[in-house]
Amino acid sequence: MSKSVLLCDDEIHILRAAEFKIKRAGFDVRIAGDGEEGWELIQQRKPDLLITDCQMPRLDGFGLVKRVRENPETADIPVLMLTAKGFELSQEELAGKWNVKGLISKPFSPRELLATVQEILGEPVATASTSA
Amino acid sequence: MNKSRFDSVFAAIALTVSAAWLVAWLAGFLIDTGSWSVRLGSFCAGFLLAGTAAMLLYARGRQQYLAAEQYFQKFCQPGRQDTVGGNSEDAPTPLKKNNKWYGITQRVRQMLDEYRERLQDSEHSRTALEIRCRRITAQYKRIEAILSGINDPIIAIDDYDELALANPKAERLFDFDSQSVENRALGNLLHCQKLVELLTSTSHRKTTGSRTEEFQFSDDGGQSNWYRATATKLVSADDRSDGQPQFSGAVAVLRDIGDQKLLQKRNAEFVSSVSHEMKTPLAGIKAYVELLLDGDAEDEETREEFLDVIDSQADRLRRLVDNMLNLARIEAGVVNVDKQNRPLNELLDEAAGVVQPAAEAKQIELVSDLSPMYLGVLADRDMMLQSAINLLSNAIKYTPQGGRVTLRSRLVDNEVQFEVEDTGVGLSEEDCRRVFEKFYRVKKNKEMAAGTGLGLPLAKHIVEDVHGGTLTVSSIEGQGSTFTITLPSSGQMK
Repeated sequence: MSKSVLLCDDEIHILRAAEFKIKRAGFDVRIAGDGEEGWELIQQRKPDLLITDCQMPRLDGFGLVKRVRENPETADIPVLMLTAKGFELSQEELAGKWNVKGLISKPFSPRELLATVQEILGEPVATASTSA
Repeated sequence: MNKSRFDSVFAAIALTVSAAWLVAWLAGFLIDTGSWSVRLGSFCAGFLLAGTAAMLLYARGRQQYLAAEQYFQKFCQPGRQDTVGGNSEDAPTPLKKNNKWYGITQRVRQMLDEYRERLQDSEHSRTALEIRCRRITAQYKRIEAILSGINDPIIAIDDYDELALANPKAERLFDFDSQSVENRALGNLLHCQKLVELLTSTSHRKTTGSRTEEFQFSDDGGQSNWYRATATKLVSADDRSDGQPQFSGAVAVLRDIGDQKLLQKRNAEFVSSVSHEMKTPLAGIKAYVELLLDGDAEDEETREEFLDVIDSQADRLRRLVDNMLNLARIEAGVVNVDKQNRPLNELLDEAAGVVQPAAEAKQIELVSDLSPMYLGVLADRDMMLQSAINLLSNAIKYTPQGGRVTLRSRLVDNEVQFEVEDTGVGLSEEDCRRVFEKFYRVKKNKEMAAGTGLGLPLAKHIVEDVHGGTLTVSSIEGQGSTFTITLPSSGQMK
């Protein structure tokens, strides 16, 4: 079974580009247009990696990560954050406070995003040793 | 020979004859050459001569005394202006040189003249001092009025680090009364360590020149504000060797920079918003270009789709830049405005035509309820058209599929009004207040449209700053919003 990635962003084109690249590498990708929708999808099925934008309507990226970390069932999900306001956010602060694995500034390279996903998740399909 | 001279000569001869006679008489008496009657007659004659001479001498002395007395009385009359050698009309008649009082009167007169001159000098000095005192008082009051009139707080200290001067603005800011305060130590008066340090360090510096410090200060009301203090060392001029102690210390002028700080913050927010808004379409372009370069789009259909996205994102970027430039040009007042008398309804029809395809794409009913009257406005065609299009496209963006957008125009109290009403998601009170701010996006509605966040601010600038009208919004959340533009009618403006 493929490892699953959940993408949250309110910019549909960005969402589609990232989805296209990661899905093409063999991962199972789901997309959400805001934090609330993302949280619903997480509750339906826990993803192996959450990639979320910071600024989103209804529930922003920080609110979503807070919810994920506060719920014992989802607290261990690795998180990557996308942002167009890179200089206002400190990667160290995000890592320390929310255990965010990485901060990716927009405009981003889908190729590099995929490389980061692969670095965190490894192969798209879990092998016998990793799925245990 | 005048009378007094004659008197004197006569008196002198009479005395001499009397003395000669007395000697002769005594000699005759001793030698006993005459009879007693002759002796008695000659004695009486001699006595008469001597008495007459004595009387004359007495009268002369009395006359001189009276002349001297009259002289002094006249001389000492109050208000007399002449001095020694003066020749005014009320000057006393000078005594004759043979008057025995002449010498003393001359000396007394000289002394009195000297005292009179000294008194006059003193009066002149006193008058000059009074004038100088009045000038200094006026100057002090002028400086005090100027200091009071300066809207920036000013504080000066002496070289003991004690308060030397504070204008009313400074007294109000730091809540003290410089006239009545007893402990004038600066640290006691100003509860602002940065300012105290700035003033004291400037005062004790060896070199002159200004130093500047920015600090935040909360007054007693808890109101916090930013100030920029410029402190300068004070040294009284060296060339004034008038025995006065030299003054040294420092003066600080505080400038309220709250607005400046707010502007800086807004500028930073603006730059941040611009970069964010520009990065979003740029991110789309970069992502899809890279997908194409990597050969991720394997079929023609996917490639077409990616190219369409790149194209639309490039358009979005161009719109954003155009809007920003338009806004900047209007704000800076460098845009050419061609205001002419135009029929508003024609402009609105044209705007409705431009947004019609977008409305149809969302199955939104675009209702045009325009006044049958001729509504003339003095307007720049392109700008007013842009405003109407911005309002209409905004309404279409934030109205769900199947909704309705109504465009109305009417004449109200000699003013031309048009409004765009939608059955969209509506705005909260805070949204209504902030919806005309640059890049302000109603968060919960953001998913409905990918705008630039500049359409409404641009429309407001066009209507209010360029055309002298008003653009307002009223809204009920969940029911819809109405944007109303009111313009002076061109008839009214003639």
